[in-house]
Amino acid sequence: MKGTIKKSFFILLLIFLISQQKGNVFGADAKKSASGGNDNLGKKIYEERCQLCHGSKGDGKGLVGVMKRSEKSGRILEIKPRDFTLGAFRFRSTPTGCLPTEEDLVLLVDKGIPRSFMPPHKDQLTKEEKKAVVEHIKTFATRWKEEEPCKYIPVKKPRWIGSKKSVEKGKKLYKEMKCWECHGETGRGDGPKADLQKDDWGHKILAFDFTTGATKMGSDPENVYTAYTTGLDGTGMPSYEDSMKDEDRWHLVSYTLKLMGRVK
Amino acid sequence: MRNRFFSWILFLSGVVLLIFTLIAAYREMTPEWKKYQAQYKEQIIKTAKDNAVRQKAGALASEVQQIYLGALNKIDRCVSCHIGVENPMMDNAKLPLKQHSGDYLKNHPPDKFGCTVCHYGQGRATNKKEAHGIGHDTHWDFPVMPLKYIQSSCTQCHDYEMLGAKGYDTIAKGAKLFTEKGCRGCHKLNGIGGALGKKLDIVGSQPIAYFPMRFVEGERNTYNWHKQHFADPRVLVPESQMKISVKPEETDLLATYVLSLRSGEMPKDYRKIKGIMTVGKPDEGEALYKMFCIACHTDGKQSYFDEIFNRTIPAIVNKAFLKTADDKYIKKTVEEGRAGTQMTSWKTAAGGLAEGEINKLISYITKERPSAKPERFNIAGFKPDEKRGEELYKVRCALCHGKKGEGELGINLRNPVTQAADPEFLALTVRDGRTETPMPAFGKKGIGLTEKDIADVVSYVKTLSKKK
Amino acid sequence: MSELKQSGIDSFKHNIKSAFKSFASSFLRSGKPTSDRSRAAAVFNNFFLHVQGVKTHINTLRPAYTLGLGLISFFLLIITIISGVLLMVYYSPSIEHAYNSVKDINFVVFAGRLIRNMHKWAGEGMIIFVLLHMARVFYTSSYKNGRQFNWVIGLALLILTFGINLSGYMLPWDQLSYWALVIVANIIQSPKELTDSLGITGFFDIGGFSKELFLGGLTAGKESLTRVYLLHIMLLPIFLFIFLGVHFWRIRKDGGLTKPDVFEPKAIDAALIALPEKKGGIFPANKTYGLMELAHGKTPVVDRDVENTVLSWPNLLIAEAALFVLCLAGVIVYSFFIDAPLKELANPMIPENPAKAPWYFLGLQELLSYSAFMGGVGLPGLALLGLGLIPYLDREEQHLGIWFSNKQGKRVAIESLIASALVIIGLLAFVINFGWFRSWWPNVPQLLITLINPGNIWVGFMILWSVYVIKKTGSTRMGAIALFTMFLISYLIYTYVGTELRGPNWDFFWSRSEWPIH
Repeated sequence: MKGTIKKSFFILLLIFLISQQKGNVFGADAKKSASGGNDNLGKKIYEERCQLCHGSKGDGKGLVGVMKRSEKSGRILEIKPRDFTLGAFRFRSTPTGCLPTEEDLVLLVDKGIPRSFMPPHKDQLTKEEKKAVVEHIKTFATRWKEEEPCKYIPVKKPRWIGSKKSVEKGKKLYKEMKCWECHGETGRGDGPKADLQKDDWGHKILAFDFTTGATKMGSDPENVYTAYTTGLDGTGMPSYEDSMKDEDRWHLVSYTLKLMGRVK
Repeated sequence: MRNRFFSWILFLSGVVLLIFTLIAAYREMTPEWKKYQAQYKEQIIKTAKDNAVRQKAGALASEVQQIYLGALNKIDRCVSCHIGVENPMMDNAKLPLKQHSGDYLKNHPPDKFGCTVCHYGQGRATNKKEAHGIGHDTHWDFPVMPLKYIQSSCTQCHDYEMLGAKGYDTIAKGAKLFTEKGCRGCHKLNGIGGALGKKLDIVGSQPIAYFPMRFVEGERNTYNWHKQHFADPRVLVPESQMKISVKPEETDLLATYVLSLRSGEMPKDYRKIKGIMTVGKPDEGEALYKMFCIACHTDGKQSYFDEIFNRTIPAIVNKAFLKTADDKYIKKTVEEGRAGTQMTSWKTAAGGLAEGEINKLISYITKERPSAKPERFNIAGFKPDEKRGEELYKVRCALCHGKKGEGELGINLRNPVTQAADPEFLALTVRDGRTETPMPAFGKKGIGLTEKDIADVVSYVKTLSKKK
Repeated sequence: MSELKQSGIDSFKHNIKSAFKSFASSFLRSGKPTSDRSRAAAVFNNFFLHVQGVKTHINTLRPAYTLGLGLISFFLLIITIISGVLLMVYYSPSIEHAYNSVKDINFVVFAGRLIRNMHKWAGEGMIIFVLLHMARVFYTSSYKNGRQFNWVIGLALLILTFGINLSGYMLPWDQLSYWALVIVANIIQSPKELTDSLGITGFFDIGGFSKELFLGGLTAGKESLTRVYLLHIMLLPIFLFIFLGVHFWRIRKDGGLTKPDVFEPKAIDAALIALPEKKGGIFPANKTYGLMELAHGKTPVVDRDVENTVLSWPNLLIAEAALFVLCLAGVIVYSFFIDAPLKELANPMIPENPAKAPWYFLGLQELLSYSAFMGGVGLPGLALLGLGLIPYLDREEQHLGIWFSNKQGKRVAIESLIASALVIIGLLAFVINFGWFRSWWPNVPQLLITLINPGNIWVGFMILWSVYVIKKTGSTRMGAIALFTMFLISYLIYTYVGTELRGPNWDFFWSRSEWPIH
């Protein structure tokens, strides 16, 4: 009897020890074990399609290098492929400082990023393949192993978006919250502090010129709201989730849409 | 009273008639210019130094003054109000009596030139509003020109070079900017230039209705239109593809130049022009490049994606490009342009450049071609497998060059010139990439495709124009 | 012997002394009008005045009866002619000089701007008053009882008035003139729409021929200006004077203006006239001579009364003088404040958008936008035909000289006004919101549109309604009232739409401020 208990205890301990893994059962790691075999697929796709720009180590130092883009106003943007190693992502649906959800990344692969050189892969890859390549990308940064992903922020667009009153309020907020310091009085990205901005990788980064009419994250009101709420991690654009009320952020969205020429 | 009703009507209407006839007569007898002529007379009499002048002034008739210019088919009545324009005694007077500034009237006497030939305005009018053409309701296409653009009138008779030499900076600098900002890359002048923009030959004489005035700030006239158009074309013409970036003071210089491009020729004895009237075509390759290419290609060393054209503009003065492309290919591209893109065809029949000029342009572009030749690619030695090429293209190339090669982030591959290019040129480009552009090397130095892969892809690329 | 010896020299001296008096008496033969007889003679013996009767019926002098509309039209014509002749001193009818000559008139010629304005406003005022005069004549049944032909002459005068105004509009050779000329030339060409649909343009191109005849070429240019000038100062005025002469002659011959069958002078009439010295005619006997008195007929009328008439001198003449001065004052005041438009020099490269005919043709241009043939030829032709036939289709002789004939007439007029306004506005609202055949079926044959379009539908309704009124009231006069009222309303509404509610590309706008600026 005593021996059986000892044996069972040992076996249980063994099982317990073995079943302990880093991180929790839910989340990225669980998925990893579920699709463990797919990392080969992800790696293959990455090497075929992504490595060109993002580099074999995911550090953005691919063969393509820096690409130039000339805006309508004549300003030249220097666009570098994303360096995945820091784990900082601009376009997410999660609060600032958090990692993006898998849906966020799959969406980026799917739609690409307009006004940048990230092309859409909608027709080229199946859903499986997109998920696989996203998994592979996660291997470049250690953050994915260390952190838990946060919950996404729900977005509900109010009906009065773009109305005259909302635009007026947004205009006031634009002044109060000092958006003009980087984005300029007319939203052309020529504010006094615009020149000083640097991204997380130490490169100079330009403040967005609203008058170009289309943002990288998408130009629907929901996208702009998300940008203000989640902040664009890795750039000089902070999150205003804590410093502004929800309603105020929507007013700012109205004013932004006006600057973009998407609202009369 | 008999006929009371009609008598009253007759009386009252008669009174109204009389009153208004008198008011009308008074109005006719007191036009604006009478006031100024009276002031002029008074001023002369007051400041005259001797009696003879005083007497002459006293005898001045008060009537419309006009300058009849038969050769120019004009009548200028500006001097009815600007009566002191030639009188040195009026040097310190207020407008409109003030004497004309500088000594321009010495060489351009009003009785031969009038005023409107330089200053525009409605010469036949005898009141300020209509003479100056102020306001839309005067229906006059050429109001008095703001003085900052006045030098645009000089070129009706004088050479640009002569004006520059004599220090007339506005027009000289404006003309220089025009030649160095690549304007003719899209705009024809004298039949030579690109076809993307409108012809500029008589743009200085076009009426207001020719221009879209809806978004002009301030007075809706051609002067403001040109200045604001140079500042940002898309404000005035939202669908415009015009590429320009100049400083605010340069917009005035360019506006002066553009306003000097007028229709009609001055009569022979007014002209002092030795050569052709407009800015001629420069001779050397670099000047030609600045005149026609620089607006889109900038310095040509790097390529960039242009949001106005929605297309990548290739790097043409790029060492990697020059290494692989031969002069024949570059010349062909320049002559034929790239159909389906904004690259104009520059041969004589289209853009208007003579062959010699194109050759000079090519030698300028290829000036810094590296002497080292690239390692040869024996493409002829491969049997092309188009199907495999298609698969490779879909995975590796379509993302940038478009599924049908129409060009997105990468350049257009379907156009006739690229399609007709030497396959070795294409293979070399794929193998070695193009430094300072986003085109990576796909050969063993880069991505690692084999030579067979590259040959297959090239053979597929060559079929792109056949696919719809 | 001394009388005989009044030698040649003496009589010569005497003649010189009395030269002025004898001149005056040769000029004013009847002497000062101090008696009824001399007043009668003043009118009868005067070249200019004798077209008017020696006596005038009191009803004619009542302002509320005629509103003086015919006279106002005539006086506006006088003013237009005098100002026109003055303008001719400076105007130069060649395309190189026309515009500049008009500018010089405005800027340099003494009172040039005022006279040009007077010419323009009196001329266009004529159109309004001629139309009002036509309405008055119609509503007082003054096209009956022998006056049928004068009505037709009046129609001819209406057409000539439009023609003279139109040709004058084209003379300054500015953007308005040039593009109006182009539009009118295309209207003249509108039969081509029909001949094209029938496929007969090849051998019967009446549209193209008329257009070339009008323009003096294939496009509007220097020949067109010459022709239009010829029409404006010579050809059309000659016809105008001839018809005007006939028009006035016929007024006398038809017995002057109409009056109600039962006429009672009222106390208020005393303000208008100097009452006749005695009842009955000038001549004591009840016998009157058709020439001098107001009598209707071909033979001397015996046993006929001419009561309720007064002497034309001074009663009619003072009324005319008062009206003339009123007219002149009105024209001068209007011209003093409001300038006749003059836009930029004509530029064939820059079309006006919208290119509009002068306002009095814009109702027609609206109909044209539905169908070129119907709007240009068909419906105007039908309208003129209809108007011309009115005196022949309505020959009832009751209620002459009474506005709207009677209570029933008033009611018919109001009902027709309301019905027509509703139908026209309804048709317009439909066309503006939904378009017509070609917006729904792009390949529909043009002939179908020519036959079925809002203009035709409107005219069809007009005719049906009038026939319905005739049936219901049993009277052709009521039918005529209905038809004419509807014609007036449609002219008014379509002209308003064409002037104020149609903008660039003939699109609908509620006001000019909404027009997109180019």
